[in-house]
Amino acid sequence: MDVMQGPEATKTKEAIVCKDVHKWYGEFEALKGVDLTVASGEVVVILGPSGSGKSTFIRCMNRLEEHQEGRIIIDGTELTHDVRNINEIRREVGMVFQQFNLFPHLTVLDNITLAPINVRKWTREKAEDLAMLWLNRVGIPEQADKYPGQLSGGQQQRVAIARALTMQPKILLFDEPTSALDPEMISEVLDVMRDLAEAGYTIVAVTHEMGFAREVAKRIIFMDGGQIVEINSPENFFNNPTHERTKLFLSQILNH
Amino acid sequence: MATTLNPNESLKDEQRFKRRKINWNYFLQDNITGSTGLTVWIVFMTIVNLWFSVRQLGAAPGRTIVVLAVWAALILMVVAGEMFGIRSRVSEWLKNNLLTSVSNALVTLFLMLLLTMAFTSFWHYAVTTATWTVAESSIDFRSAQAEAGVEIGASWGVIWGSRKLLLTGLLEPQYNGRVITSAILIGVLWLLTSITNRDRFAENNGVQILKNITNIGWLISPFALYILLAGIAYEGPFINFSTLIRWEIVVLAIFGLLYFFNVLQLTPLNIAIWVLAWPLAYVIWRFIGQNGWYPPINVDQWGGLLLTIIFAIFVNLASFPVGILLALGRRADVQGIPWWIIWPVTLILTTILLYTNTFGNCLGTIPALCENTNLWATSRNNIERGIALWPLIIPLLAYLFQRMYNGNMVQAASVVFIEFVRGVPLITLLFLAIVMAPFFLPVDGSGSFKKVFAVMIGYTIFSAAYMAELIRGGLQAIPRGQYEAADALGMNALQKYRFIILPQALRILIPALAGSVIGTFKSSSLVSLIGLFDFVGIGRAVFTNDQWLGLKTEVYLFLFIAYFLVSSIVSLYSRRIEESTGLGIR
Repeated sequence: MDVMQGPEATKTKEAIVCKDVHKWYGEFEALKGVDLTVASGEVVVILGPSGSGKSTFIRCMNRLEEHQEGRIIIDGTELTHDVRNINEIRREVGMVFQQFNLFPHLTVLDNITLAPINVRKWTREKAEDLAMLWLNRVGIPEQADKYPGQLSGGQQQRVAIARALTMQPKILLFDEPTSALDPEMISEVLDVMRDLAEAGYTIVAVTHEMGFAREVAKRIIFMDGGQIVEINSPENFFNNPTHERTKLFLSQILNH
Repeated sequence: MATTLNPNESLKDEQRFKRRKINWNYFLQDNITGSTGLTVWIVFMTIVNLWFSVRQLGAAPGRTIVVLAVWAALILMVVAGEMFGIRSRVSEWLKNNLLTSVSNALVTLFLMLLLTMAFTSFWHYAVTTATWTVAESSIDFRSAQAEAGVEIGASWGVIWGSRKLLLTGLLEPQYNGRVITSAILIGVLWLLTSITNRDRFAENNGVQILKNITNIGWLISPFALYILLAGIAYEGPFINFSTLIRWEIVVLAIFGLLYFFNVLQLTPLNIAIWVLAWPLAYVIWRFIGQNGWYPPINVDQWGGLLLTIIFAIFVNLASFPVGILLALGRRADVQGIPWWIIWPVTLILTTILLYTNTFGNCLGTIPALCENTNLWATSRNNIERGIALWPLIIPLLAYLFQRMYNGNMVQAASVVFIEFVRGVPLITLLFLAIVMAPFFLPVDGSGSFKKVFAVMIGYTIFSAAYMAELIRGGLQAIPRGQYEAADALGMNALQKYRFIILPQALRILIPALAGSVIGTFKSSSLVSLIGLFDFVGIGRAVFTNDQWLGLKTEVYLFLFIAYFLVSSIVSLYSRRIEESTGLGIR
């Protein structure tokens, strides 16, 4: 098994289809009808001010949050209340969190192999082989027997990425993966993400790293107030944004 | 204050002989005049010490003079160290621990006087004037001594003289061997576990095999202990095939469930064990029963330390899994029963019950709905008429259920169970268990459900409710990210709790769980109120016995030490578990 080969192809040409997605927290409407289609192998970066619903949106894609209206179809399977659908989708969709969320009571290797062994029903040998390949690829094979608490933030996030990838997902969701890291550790995580984009993974990333967005994203989605305000190529998004709100946002983050 | 030295490090010469310059102004301020409270405290402690010293000088001059002299010498050592630079490890330790300030020096003196006073009088009672043999503890000997005017302290012979009662209570002596065998069984298993789990044997194959054998031994031990301590009755010479097959189906169903939830894998060894275990156990069971090797014991005769320990072990082990289930149930986020089911059902049920039970009408041919008397017609006053309308409570309950739990049956049942049990005194629950158990549980051959078993079940229910709330606390301490990470990896609920949440939650809970284990062990003495002679109960029986009449202090001191020892072992053990699982804490 060669991890450099990239992911298995998705079943359908559109990896993610979201149609008129609504989400309420009590009275508060967090998502007000979001439409988005992500093609297979496409890298999409979601930008927006805090509270704009971008995290909620990405968490709806593997049903960590439940949407109340509209449809979300991941690789041909619709997210509904059906638990079998949800678990099937979660196997194919890897997620990397802002706070890493590694399991502190397990070693790095056990963190990575737990789900493949129990969810994918692989043998321990197969899971450990693949885990070591991925640890090599993110550059920290020597940390396999340590506990998460013994690693730096950047290393922990790379373990989290290896954990998501050992499940052999076709789609990757990144929820602000570098926001909890020290500045000098951000690049090591971004390098890994750049690698994955080149390998052909379908990636949806919420991030504040404008350099990464400009360089890697195929499309940039700008959200505000629970709605998509603008979808544009990185070139156009940064150089001549069409929407007033986008201009304001860019002027704020680029000239602070 | 002056710089602190670590008393464990040897002092360098320059430190040892360095004279410190003392600013008396600051010294007075720090120690005496700093605040009104401090001054009052110093004056108060001085007066107390003076008064106490004078009294003690009157009562026991020699001892008190020694104490005062020792205290003065300690003070001198510290003063010498501070003012003239003659320091030693001892003087530094004293300065940092016992004599850090004037007020602490006064407290030290007070405690020295108090402890010597208490200790010498205890020593006088427990050693100097004590008697040690069984004969010297008997009431005849003691009254003869009292008449002769001889002072007798503790009569320790009572403990040895009543050892049988204290250890096994009223259990007939012919079963002593079986109790001892049980104790040896548990002791050996425990020893093997603690040895084979040492890190340095992790690579040793022989030891690992021994470890597996030990684990199987633990699995079998409940049955072995039951056979040893309760015995098996003779039930006739033939194997009952319907029983055999019925329970085999149950065992295989459990296996199927465990496989379905991915706890067990379908290896040939696992299949063989699960298919053969029950028939094998059944044959052995019947074989032992047939030969009368372990004839049944009247378990209500269990007593003393034996009963207390059986209680502690059974209740703690049984209430733990029940507690986990209740805690998970209370947090369960399952789809509730929707209102459009609840309300029609409630309406129909209420109508039927009003129609039949309250107004005595017959409904169809179902006998249960026809045998009721007409409560309304037979009621004589308004109170009885109100009671007759009891079915009207059902809509109220349904409303509360819908409103508070959103139709979530699992959560509502857990909450009601936990809150009911926690709201009832333990002793009431135990009485209830004795009365109710025979209605719900199979009765043995003699036609009565054994009191001990009923009480054990009642106690387990009580303990489980508290355990559930403890465990719920632990579950809430696990950050949300851990649940989300497990979800995002596609784990199902069972895997999530089994591999991610419970291991972390239970580790947090080790101190609290140890507290609960010790608490259960100690408060099991409550069962002496319902006619079982546990350790404390039998102790009381010992000193009210003619021969040992009045030897309260000796027996209670013995109980005190025994309870303290067992609790300390649990406490130490839990701390060791905590340390050994401490790796990888965030």
